Amino acid sequence: MNPVRIRIAVSLLVISLFLFLFCGGEKISSYLSFILLPFQFVPALIRALTNPAVIFIIGLISIFVVTLIFGRVYCSFLCPLGIFQDIFIALSNKIGWRRKHSFQKPRDLLRYSILGLIIITVALGSMSLVNIFDPYSIFGRIITQFVLPFFLWIYNVVVNGMKYFHVYLYSKDTVPVVMSALFINLSFLILIVTLSLRHGRLYCNSICPVGTLLGLISRLSFFKFAIDKTGCNACLNCVTVCKAGCIDTQNAVIDQSRCVGCFNCLDVCPQSVVSYCPAVKNREGETWSPARRGLIIGGVAAAGSALLMITSGIRNLLRPVHAAAAQPITPPGSISRDHFTQACSACHLCVSVCPTKVITPSFLDYGMSGLLQPLMNYPESFCEYECNLCGRVCPTGAILPLSMEEKQITQIGEVDLLKDKCVVYINHQNCGACVEVCPTKTITFVNRANILYPVVDNQYCIGCGACSKACPTDPKSIIVKPNAVHKKAVKSLTKDTPIQQKSAIPQDFPF
Amino acid sequence: MAQKQKTDRREFLKKGLSLGLAAGGAVILGKTDFLQAKETAKSQPDLVAVKNGEPDAMFKKAMSLMGGMGQFIKKGQTVAVKPNIGFPRKPEVGATTNPILIKAIIESCYQAGAKKVYVFDNVVTPTSGNAKNCYQLSGIEDAARSARGIIVPVDDFSYQEVTIPGAKTLKTADVHRLILDADVFINVPVLKHHSSTHLSIAMKNLMGIVKNRMKYHLIGLDQCIADFCLYKKPDLNIVDAYRVLMSDGPDGPRDAKDADVQLKKTLLMSRDIVAVDAAATKIFGKNPEDIGYIKIGHQQKTGNMNLNELKIVTYSM
Repeated sequence: MNPVRIRIAVSLLVISLFLFLFCGGEKISSYLSFILLPFQFVPALIRALTNPAVIFIIGLISIFVVTLIFGRVYCSFLCPLGIFQDIFIALSNKIGWRRKHSFQKPRDLLRYSILGLIIITVALGSMSLVNIFDPYSIFGRIITQFVLPFFLWIYNVVVNGMKYFHVYLYSKDTVPVVMSALFINLSFLILIVTLSLRHGRLYCNSICPVGTLLGLISRLSFFKFAIDKTGCNACLNCVTVCKAGCIDTQNAVIDQSRCVGCFNCLDVCPQSVVSYCPAVKNREGETWSPARRGLIIGGVAAAGSALLMITSGIRNLLRPVHAAAAQPITPPGSISRDHFTQACSACHLCVSVCPTKVITPSFLDYGMSGLLQPLMNYPESFCEYECNLCGRVCPTGAILPLSMEEKQITQIGEVDLLKDKCVVYINHQNCGACVEVCPTKTITFVNRANILYPVVDNQYCIGCGACSKACPTDPKSIIVKPNAVHKKAVKSLTKDTPIQQKSAIPQDFPF
Repeated sequence: MAQKQKTDRREFLKKGLSLGLAAGGAVILGKTDFLQAKETAKSQPDLVAVKNGEPDAMFKKAMSLMGGMGQFIKKGQTVAVKPNIGFPRKPEVGATTNPILIKAIIESCYQAGAKKVYVFDNVVTPTSGNAKNCYQLSGIEDAARSARGIIVPVDDFSYQEVTIPGAKTLKTADVHRLILDADVFINVPVLKHHSSTHLSIAMKNLMGIVKNRMKYHLIGLDQCIADFCLYKKPDLNIVDAYRVLMSDGPDGPRDAKDADVQLKKTLLMSRDIVAVDAAATKIFGKNPEDIGYIKIGHQQKTGNMNLNELKIVTYSM
């Protein structure tokens, strides 16, 4: 079995599953998120630290164990952004943009400062830097903002075209565009595509915090790539195929901390002097000391971050004060705004799967500490009463899964009826758009002189925003005010057993 | 008794006069088939009401009393059937038109020689309400498909703005092209309670062929509903009063077992949208005078809400 073939097969399978995860619709998404996301490093780490669930802890441990045994194979086999880059690297090989890779010096200062900075900011209670650099979340945002809309656009164009042949299909809603978030995501898309086309896996080796952290661990890995100097004829074949640029033939050293485990070098060596085997024999010599240093740094960092992650008291104290007067509303299941902003890695999976597209990317709406994290986009859309999909797919536990019954009484906000804007109160004419769509009987009518005036009883309100969406006035006469901490609403009981399906065929026609 | 005779005589005079005019006009225009059509139309009722049957059987009976689908559809014509599919509800809730009725209507259209029969509604969106949910849950999608009806999910791109002559409030509206293009327009509302307009029947059902229905709410529901009928009156209105949602309308409860539904097993049919609404209002147990848009529709001469002035044929199965 050729390991490169296996890698290509596995990685293509993984990235297609990720595409299905983001674009596949309700059933596929909730199923795949359960299979794929416990084995993504950042989501699993956040979940394990904030809302531990067995499968995520298993996922996290297995990533560590696999890295300890095999090195950074995670980056080539499981990381969707890594595979995404590999596709572009293969493409640039094909079209001849860059056929040969070369050895690159490690950019230690850059990668360790990014990792260090991220650990510090997370400890201070801001997810912004994690969100910006986490490879899974970057991939998720690229899919959500560019790939999925492209698919939907094609689908809708086809649906529209079919009308001329008298075939009528359901079109699909697209994700609303938030220019600022789009700009960030586009910059990252361009950055990553250019880097991969020109410099192979430079992002993974110099910027990606997950790569850096796993690199520290892989220095200690059981299996290592090595070059047997004696048989090497310095053909440099291995160097030209090394996307990570980590093979130093002059010193016959392969930098384990940057090797992404793609097995390309094994494949091309004509003398078969590049080996991948238990590293016991290489234990002596200069590679040992940086490994120990790495372990110490990594251990301290991990322990420190874990400690600070669970001492939320300190974090709350140090957390930057939220900006903006109008606070965003967070999706049902996110417990509170603080819980949400401190656990969301902004992968935008919820944005992709939300059927009403009410969950929308934000830019600075949560302040500097919650860059790009999604929010409930009222009154552009509304939260579907009979849906709890966002909680079912969220990997980090920022939106926790709710049963349908729980979701239908989870109050994420309350409504405010603005009687100085409402047409019924101003013009004394019937409207009732809000009452028609309210799923919880929060809004009812009071009849005065045959005019039906809407009134609000917020104990039933779950803040779904249907009323606000339906309201015909501009600006809206009924708006949702956020609950910083979500509450429980009272379930409105239906009338005491109405006469059901009562037969009432008229005796005589009343005309 | 004297009263009765008087109306009869007046009616006779009126009909005779109009018949004479029509005949004269037809002869001048050379359209004798029109003359014949009018001859049969004379014996046709203004409104047919059938009760105590299943939706499809009542429809067939009512249609035969009305003179057959051939009255409305000529061979090769396209038909737009507009049920009420506004909410994602099962048929048992009574918030949407009965699918069995829709199926029977489509079959009857094809039997009369229709080329294509389209079925669609502009659903109320913020209520689990994408077209897919509503069409599927209401059973109308399956029913229409099984009768070769073409079910059309509406989108924002298929509307055309029209001006409404003589409208007081709703001067313009964006109307769906299927309505503008179809040769025959059959309106198939369900009779149900409505929180803001008391009742939703035939006139109210036409809100589902315009794009921005929320505009009605903003500038005055009753007047807008009545105004729209000045632009377009359906060729035929068939009111489904089989299961009648008596409260909690227009959407009704999500769960059918909570629905305050009465099995009235009634079906009404008329060319006159105001008359059919007035009759349905009485079936519901209310007075047409109290329903704002019916009253306005009568005043704007869209139709006649005084049922005692109409020729009504009733039938109990």
